[in-house]
Amino acid sequence: MSAVRLIARDELRLMARNRVAVIAFVLLVLLTLVAVASAWSHQRNIAELRERNAHAAESAFDRQPDRHPHRVVHAGHFIFRPLGPLAAFDPGVDAFTGNSMFLEGHRQNTANFGDVRQSSLLVRFGLLTPAFVLQVVAPLLLIFLGYGVLARERERGTLRVLLLQGAGRGEVVGGKLLAVGTVAMLAGLPAMIGFALIAGQPGALVLPMLTIAGGYLLYLALWVLLIVLVSALVRRSLDALLALLALWVVTVVLLPRLAPDVAGAAVPLDNRLQTDVAIARDLRAMGDSHDPDDPYFDEFKQSVLERYDVGTVEELPVNYQGLLAMEGEQMTSKLFDQYADKSYNAQERQNWMVEWLGVLSPAISVRSVSMAAAGTDFAGHRRFLDQAEAYRYELVQQLNRLQAEAVSYADDIAEDPGADDRRRVAAANWAKMPDFGFRPATSAELARAAVPGLLMLVGWLVLAGLALASATRRLGWAK
Amino acid sequence: MISNNAVISLSEMIVAYDALPVLDGLTLGVPAGSITALLGGNGAGKSTTLATLLGFVQARSGTVSVCGIDPAIDPDAARRKIAYLPENVALYDHLTAQENAEYLLALSDQKPDADAISRAFASAGLQEGAWRHRLGAFSKGMRQKVAIAVALLREVPVLLLDEPTSGLDPAATADFNALLSQVRDRGTAVLMVTHDLLSAADVADRIVFLESGQVTDDVAADGPDRFDVRALHARFQSARGPVAA
Repeated sequence: MSAVRLIARDELRLMARNRVAVIAFVLLVLLTLVAVASAWSHQRNIAELRERNAHAAESAFDRQPDRHPHRVVHAGHFIFRPLGPLAAFDPGVDAFTGNSMFLEGHRQNTANFGDVRQSSLLVRFGLLTPAFVLQVVAPLLLIFLGYGVLARERERGTLRVLLLQGAGRGEVVGGKLLAVGTVAMLAGLPAMIGFALIAGQPGALVLPMLTIAGGYLLYLALWVLLIVLVSALVRRSLDALLALLALWVVTVVLLPRLAPDVAGAAVPLDNRLQTDVAIARDLRAMGDSHDPDDPYFDEFKQSVLERYDVGTVEELPVNYQGLLAMEGEQMTSKLFDQYADKSYNAQERQNWMVEWLGVLSPAISVRSVSMAAAGTDFAGHRRFLDQAEAYRYELVQQLNRLQAEAVSYADDIAEDPGADDRRRVAAANWAKMPDFGFRPATSAELARAAVPGLLMLVGWLVLAGLALASATRRLGWAK
Repeated sequence: MISNNAVISLSEMIVAYDALPVLDGLTLGVPAGSITALLGGNGAGKSTTLATLLGFVQARSGTVSVCGIDPAIDPDAARRKIAYLPENVALYDHLTAQENAEYLLALSDQKPDADAISRAFASAGLQEGAWRHRLGAFSKGMRQKVAIAVALLREVPVLLLDEPTSGLDPAATADFNALLSQVRDRGTAVLMVTHDLLSAADVADRIVFLESGQVTDDVAADGPDRFDVRALHARFQSARGPVAA
């Protein structure tokens, strides 16, 4: 057996004979299994609930009675964001962003009903998911099991014994890396059980799953390197423990929570009230379709009359009210899109800043990798918002077109008692409207989104590896 | 003076910790199949000499060689030629005596059978009842015996000893000296740092007296310059300074 394996075997034997270490390891395994089971069940329940709600909303929309199409525009329609299978591993921002949207004419609503707003306050402190266990708890366990791998040997004088028995410095460090690495692999194994469950789900994508597995492999490998590095650098094992705990607190607890605040301060977002006021102001400036003297809509009317080669709106072959609604929707949507783009761009700059703070915290990088590949990051949420808006616009315009084509202008403006009945169109039309179908990102898109985070982790690994190589060369020297 | 067949050699070695010189032009050689005892007061440079041979300290100048290998350049290779018994024995408390021996010998690419380890334990004077107990409850002397057994089982050309008998009772010291003679007879070069002049006189072929990092006396056990234990003891005591009443 090589010296590396001998040293690793002895280190593992020491851990196995340490009751506290065994209990800590068993607790982590149990915690991960509980996290896997709970996240799995949570994801299944949410996915089923959203699917049921989506069907109910579609059914309610389709079952509307004979109505004026513009009533349907204002009645609105709920859509739900389906949850991908990988959300069971890492739900990302899903619990915070909301998962349903109310679509209606003349307005772009935001997503509603995030789990955080519907659940106990505990949800705000982090869901117990396999991702959380691997990002936060696993490094802590590795620290407690591995902080003394070299510092303890130095402190007790056995480091020199190892070197004097002919084990090279590289072999000693290699053995310690192998031992802590083995514990890291074992600690990550229960989370892989969750992965195996996810792999059997429809919609589970192999490449993003491999990306996530690779990201966590790099992350845990980095912690193994850091633990052995710190243990090699300090004189006493207590110093190693304190240094590693400080590193964990800063990089895993503090920076990931501080980073969004820093980004938020650097790139401030307008709040909802400010945005609503600004939109209302711009809408007023845009014109009033109900004002016969409004210059913009007067110009629009003239262009319609010229296009159809008629002198009055009554002579048009289509309902002018419907055309007006289509034009109004196009204008307001364009305005809403401008504000939405501004907000999205600011949020993307914030996310970019947070990702760059991964230079200071590998936990931020692995979180980015995990959420991006799982499709539960901000980009995944924006994909839902973009598709929801495109669907809303198309639905509203189809209803406006129906108004233009199926309701006569005369009936539309009539005020006699029977006019309301004449303005209604057949209920069968509602079922003909397309249903919302969320198109998730492709396998390649998800994997590509995880690349920056992966590169950060590789950078960390290279730096830690170089530092450890330097520390290895000094191992055993008198100070 | 270094003989041509020296397995261990130090020549004009200067070692200093920060500004404090510890070895000041030390020249010393230990041939194969011999025991050299290195004596001197505290701070004379004895342990630093061993640390230099083991590649744990870097000399400012001079040359050092263990079986032709410079420990400062390739410490890992030099250490493979050396068995070392430190004054404060460091072994693994979570392992039994047997497991300690198996583990440490395996690291040096040796896989002695259980009988060989048992014989080494017996030779070192470790009671049989202790062989399969973890070292956590061992006394200093018992640990010393385990370390001696491991060092003896290492079949290497160089044996370095730092106060090897400090934890042993007189009977165990006599047994140890007998063992050391056997090791010498199989061709090993032994360099022993000790304060135990009588033990050194009993087993060593040469006694080298070190003071302020320099050799002040280098005397042989046999021949015309055979050392006088009493005179050397007096010299040794004077170097240690007056004893408080």
